[in-house]
Amino acid sequence: MNRALFVHTWRSQRLKLAIVCIGLGIWSAILPIVYGTFGQTFKSIIDSGLIPKELTQFGGGDVFSLSGSLALGAIHPISLILNSIFAVGFATSAVAGERQRGTLEVLLARPLSRWTVYRTLLVSVLVFVGTAVLASIVGATIGSGIAGVADELVPARLPLFWLNGVLLFGAIAAIGLAASVSFDRLTPALGLTVAVTVVSYFLEVLGTFWPDAKGLQTYSIFHYFDPKQVLEGNVATGNLALLAAVAAVAIGWGLWEFPRRDLAAPS
Amino acid sequence: MTAISTSGLTKLFGRSRLPVRPPGHGSSTVVRALDDLSIEVNEGEIFGFLGPNGAGKSTTIRLLLSFLHPTAGSGTVLGHDIVRDSVEIRRRIGYLPGGIALYDSLTGEGLLDYLGHLTGRPPSRRAELCDRLELSEATLRRLVRDYSRGMRQKIGIVQALQHDPELAILDEPTEGLDPLMQRAFYGILDDLRSAGRTIFFSSHVLSEVERVCDRVAIVRRGQLVAVEDVEALLARRKRNVEMRLDGPAPTLEGVPGVSNVVVAADGRVTCQLEGDMRPFLAAIAGSPITDLTIEPAHLEEAFLELYQDAEVPA
Repeated sequence: MNRALFVHTWRSQRLKLAIVCIGLGIWSAILPIVYGTFGQTFKSIIDSGLIPKELTQFGGGDVFSLSGSLALGAIHPISLILNSIFAVGFATSAVAGERQRGTLEVLLARPLSRWTVYRTLLVSVLVFVGTAVLASIVGATIGSGIAGVADELVPARLPLFWLNGVLLFGAIAAIGLAASVSFDRLTPALGLTVAVTVVSYFLEVLGTFWPDAKGLQTYSIFHYFDPKQVLEGNVATGNLALLAAVAAVAIGWGLWEFPRRDLAAPS
Repeated sequence: MTAISTSGLTKLFGRSRLPVRPPGHGSSTVVRALDDLSIEVNEGEIFGFLGPNGAGKSTTIRLLLSFLHPTAGSGTVLGHDIVRDSVEIRRRIGYLPGGIALYDSLTGEGLLDYLGHLTGRPPSRRAELCDRLELSEATLRRLVRDYSRGMRQKIGIVQALQHDPELAILDEPTEGLDPLMQRAFYGILDDLRSAGRTIFFSSHVLSEVERVCDRVAIVRRGQLVAVEDVEALLARRKRNVEMRLDGPAPTLEGVPGVSNVVVAADGRVTCQLEGDMRPFLAAIAGSPITDLTIEPAHLEEAFLELYQDAEVPA
């Protein structure tokens, strides 16, 4: 890892990271408040059978328990979009974007191996993703306190909640970075990563609402992100291992491909 | 000592099973961007690398810097293999890419600091270079995105040379510089040569190559056409001679180095002169010459002559 490149990357992204963290913190604080305020009312409506059970859950989250509301906040499209700013946006532009702009040439003219550049960018994006997920947890904790339901939160389970989030968005970031080193231009790298993420998300959500499509959830990386179970103390280590394996494969591809690519003159 | 050495360096782009074509020759998926290039650049010289767009100049530079991987052949830079030791090579060189792109969100000073930190060597020449290229402190405090093209090029030159590299690889370095700055840049090159530094200088501006380079290599469609001393190249070039006489024309047929003699009815004589001038001067001595013009030799004509000689049917 190269310190100068890491510091430069951190400086260039810190404002964006601050905005993402504030957004995620506020969003994650809202759902415990919704749960604390309306949770029991919603539950009585659902218990009356007026609304099908499938429509009361979204991606494993709900608003009938604190763990469910935190899970709902974590899997909601708003959370996905905010986390994707780094996991998809930064990761895909890290190499392909520099290459398209022509600045990669200036960077690689320095005494840095491509492995070093790749590792530094990987560490950078994991730090960004980790910080963003941490901001969600901080927001959720503050929201729980405001709603008066903090006693339902088990602090010892929060690190695993963080790890599950980091592994999910870290795997997406690893896919984005692998795409970034594989293409000459940003558009295909971004397109591929967005496609993988959106299709994966769609399969998970589809399986939630439609029992016949439940089998498709197996093919979604979001299926292995289960914050509700983690917060209730039911950690499926297989889920964490699978997300880590997806990230490892993508990182392996990037480390293999980047040093072997020809970097033709920027167009 | 050799600063750069290549042996049979070849680069093909595309799928190797399909027919190969040199650049500019019909449509095929495979392009032979560089074909069997063997050159040697000595330490302490300014070496010009000439050719039109698409000739293979940038491909050669990108191979030397390990941005591209050679299809065949090998090369060394400062004694290091271009494939195995590319990091060590880049530790000891400075590189100015053609049409350089910079980080627009940084100030000029921030950019030079950042690139200096990445290089890992103190920017010992920065102040002097900024002074000579008229990059003031106020200019360096501005964002790069606000720079004109010429200022970007000046920053590009400073980033390439600020750490006093043993070898500078400069791709079209005067692009965008005004004539005054070009002159300042040539002065910097002269100083680097005096300090024993090596410059590998890619350009298609022949006048500047003629002005600064000791030797030149000329490439065409990925192939080396010639490697020569600039002086030797100029000496070989045919110069146009025109004489006006108020009496009989001297006999120039058979004089060594003289060709294409034309005697006009109005007493004007034109011919072409190549190599040593003394036989020609001896032949015209005593002739009733009223006016004599011998065009100075320029690299441009020598370059075109070499290119015409190397012309192959497309």
